[in-house]
Amino acid sequence: MTRRSLLAGSGKALLGAGLLPRAAHAGEAPVAPVALARCSSYGAEMHATLRAMFDQIGGLGRLVKCKTVAVKINLTGNPDERLGYLPLGCTTWTNPDLIGAAVQLPGKAGARRIRLLESPWKSAEPVQEYIAAAGWDPAMFTRAADNVEFENTNFLGYGKKYIRFPVPHGGLLFPAFDLNHSYADCDVFVSIGKMKVHVTAGITLSLKNCFGITPCTIYGDGAPMDEPSRLPLGGRSPIHVGNRQPAKPAPPENDSSSPREGGYRVPRCVADLVAARPIHLAIIDGIEAQTGCEIIGPGARHVTPHLLVAGTNPVCVDAVGAAVMGFDPMADRGTAPFETCDSTLCLAEQLGVSTRDLRRIEVIGARSAGVVFDYRKAGVPRPRGGSLSDD
Amino acid sequence: MGESLISDRLVPFRWLAAWTDPALLRLFSNGPINCFLFDRLASARGIVDAARAKGMETMEWAALGAAPFDQVKWNISAPQVAITGLVWPQLKPPARGDADAGPTGAPWIDSNTWVKRLAAARAPRRAIWLGFERPKDDATPAAAAYTTAIADSAAAGARWMVILDDKRQEGVATGDPEALRTWDAIIAALRFFQTHRSWNAWPRSGPVGVMSDFAGNNEFMGQEFLNLAARRKLLYRVLSRSDGNPSLEGLLAVLYLDREPPTAALQSRLLAFARSGGLVIVPRAVAASFGGGRPISCPVAGYEWRPLGQGAIAAATLDRDDPYFLAADVHNLIRRRSDPFTLFNAASLWEHYSVAPDGRAAVLQLVGFASRPYGSVSVAMAHSWRSATLYVIGSVLPTHLQPALVEGRLELHLPPFSNYAALEFHS
Repeated sequence: MTRRSLLAGSGKALLGAGLLPRAAHAGEAPVAPVALARCSSYGAEMHATLRAMFDQIGGLGRLVKCKTVAVKINLTGNPDERLGYLPLGCTTWTNPDLIGAAVQLPGKAGARRIRLLESPWKSAEPVQEYIAAAGWDPAMFTRAADNVEFENTNFLGYGKKYIRFPVPHGGLLFPAFDLNHSYADCDVFVSIGKMKVHVTAGITLSLKNCFGITPCTIYGDGAPMDEPSRLPLGGRSPIHVGNRQPAKPAPPENDSSSPREGGYRVPRCVADLVAARPIHLAIIDGIEAQTGCEIIGPGARHVTPHLLVAGTNPVCVDAVGAAVMGFDPMADRGTAPFETCDSTLCLAEQLGVSTRDLRRIEVIGARSAGVVFDYRKAGVPRPRGGSLSDD
Repeated sequence: MGESLISDRLVPFRWLAAWTDPALLRLFSNGPINCFLFDRLASARGIVDAARAKGMETMEWAALGAAPFDQVKWNISAPQVAITGLVWPQLKPPARGDADAGPTGAPWIDSNTWVKRLAAARAPRRAIWLGFERPKDDATPAAAAYTTAIADSAAAGARWMVILDDKRQEGVATGDPEALRTWDAIIAALRFFQTHRSWNAWPRSGPVGVMSDFAGNNEFMGQEFLNLAARRKLLYRVLSRSDGNPSLEGLLAVLYLDREPPTAALQSRLLAFARSGGLVIVPRAVAASFGGGRPISCPVAGYEWRPLGQGAIAAATLDRDDPYFLAADVHNLIRRRSDPFTLFNAASLWEHYSVAPDGRAAVLQLVGFASRPYGSVSVAMAHSWRSATLYVIGSVLPTHLQPALVEGRLELHLPPFSNYAALEFHS
């Protein structure tokens, strides 16, 4: 598809362009092309499609050869809760086939080590056990390339200390974050998001996926005030509602009088995180996904957009991702999908991560005008007795 | 081998003092209940005689020796162990303002499963009768609540000494339609478990043996571990520390729970188990005495993994004082891939797994504590069974299920059911 057809497809993108204040640091923001592809299924077709997309954005070799690659996957919610009988990889979690490909292709491109990272909710469980609880065999990934490791980054994990990541320009919510060592002990950081709407942040793609890199031993409910807990004892509601500051010595937020509201705080936290811990490769799994909410819950509905998005700049990737979901990436608070929150895209743009302006983003790949999949329309519940699935 | 469950003949019912009319015995005609427990036989002589004339067993409550768990006399020779003061099996509503009551928080469930399992270890080959009453504030519809109460006991291999709440006592006696529907549900559930009582003769199966004396300083951790392991769907067998020669056959791991070291003979036994390929998980307090090889990286935080022969010792490096976290650690140490089943959309379902002695059949019983029906439960199987048959209470005919291939594993997608379902497998 062309940039023009994408804009036309989203319907609202042009309307929003130019109406917002100039981003604070957008002038220095890099812009990178985004590969967009239709893909009807996981497995062999997805594998070939993803490989072609990586070639379209310049190839993986230059990015990963002889490097340690950290891959943040999205395992939001409990491993044993499904939407109907659908496996999690078809709704809320990054699909295991896609994770396997995101391991195998860098491995073939010469990556020295690949670490699969996630911070399962409230838990210090090994990631490989967490995914086993979803019925996945961790060997799917360890066999896909040499030197594949897992790490739960919700706590210290295998590290000896937390690593501080300052936010460029001082940060919107936090000036810096203390994170698990795996986010520092890597040369390349990959975020694989799921194409979903999000109750608090409007959408969750490759940027929002990074909300989960914050360890709950520091940023969670049960963390002591004076030092991190040894193991996570609660969820990340302190970031959502601002009822407390992180455990010391992690720096407190910039302004404790700022709104204590998730729609204000979560997008800022995510923007800060992706500015502090830059993403080198962003992938959005939109082959099968979910709308209505980001976890299994009331209103959740299975959708099959049959789309993959990838690129080296996460803001550009998510801007395209938002557009193909039927949203205007230039939209801000008050406009879908940000009716009750600020736009993470806008905030990341302000921090100089990149631009969300589709006019500046080269979109490579699919040329079908029908690529836009309207998540809101798909989210309208069918009459009782209808299928859970909604194409 | 696992604990062997007794299939006792008697199905007990606590006869109510307010029921003075022998005509009420009609409620029990051709039903599964065949044993009445009277407060005093002498004060209900007319009913006692009539019941005996109909072939019913009658017992006086005091003669039963019923007692709370910590006061039970385990060594007496009575055919039953009657345990009182237990919880009404139910899904506990989250406390107001409870931070753990989020959308991904596991629900809290009151169940007597652990009581039965521990009682069976202390009194093997005796029937276990459980005593508990429905709380007055239970908002669950009565029929569903009683079905769950019966299933929670029966699936564990015990009997609930059935007793009606005040409203149903009166309603059943006077022919109130709602009370009679509840009564019918009770009878249907009891009849179901009588029909399938052969399942109780099959040994309980699970990958981990939990070894403790479950008493004194170890009482809280031991008992709560058993309780919370079920919440995590960690299948276990109870191993008594006082048993000098416990069977470890079929186990992948043994959790030694107590902070006191085992006897030399028992330790030797556990080390031999590890050398032959098993995993022995020990608390920090006794870790040094278990030895093992040079520690290697352990994926579970707070443990040293010490190879030993073909197996290993997993030695805690920190004290675990929360039994739920300990259960999670154990589940992760033995690896969830060793679970015979993975359940989905089953947070408020508890599982009971038994395997026939010849290994060619098994039953997975699922007890539901939610008041709503279970609409989309999936069961992923580690073992390839030839057939799977679904049984639910109240359905005359079982349903043969065809597995579906999901992400490379065979799964069963269960049709909607309420409170209880059993899957019988054959190879």
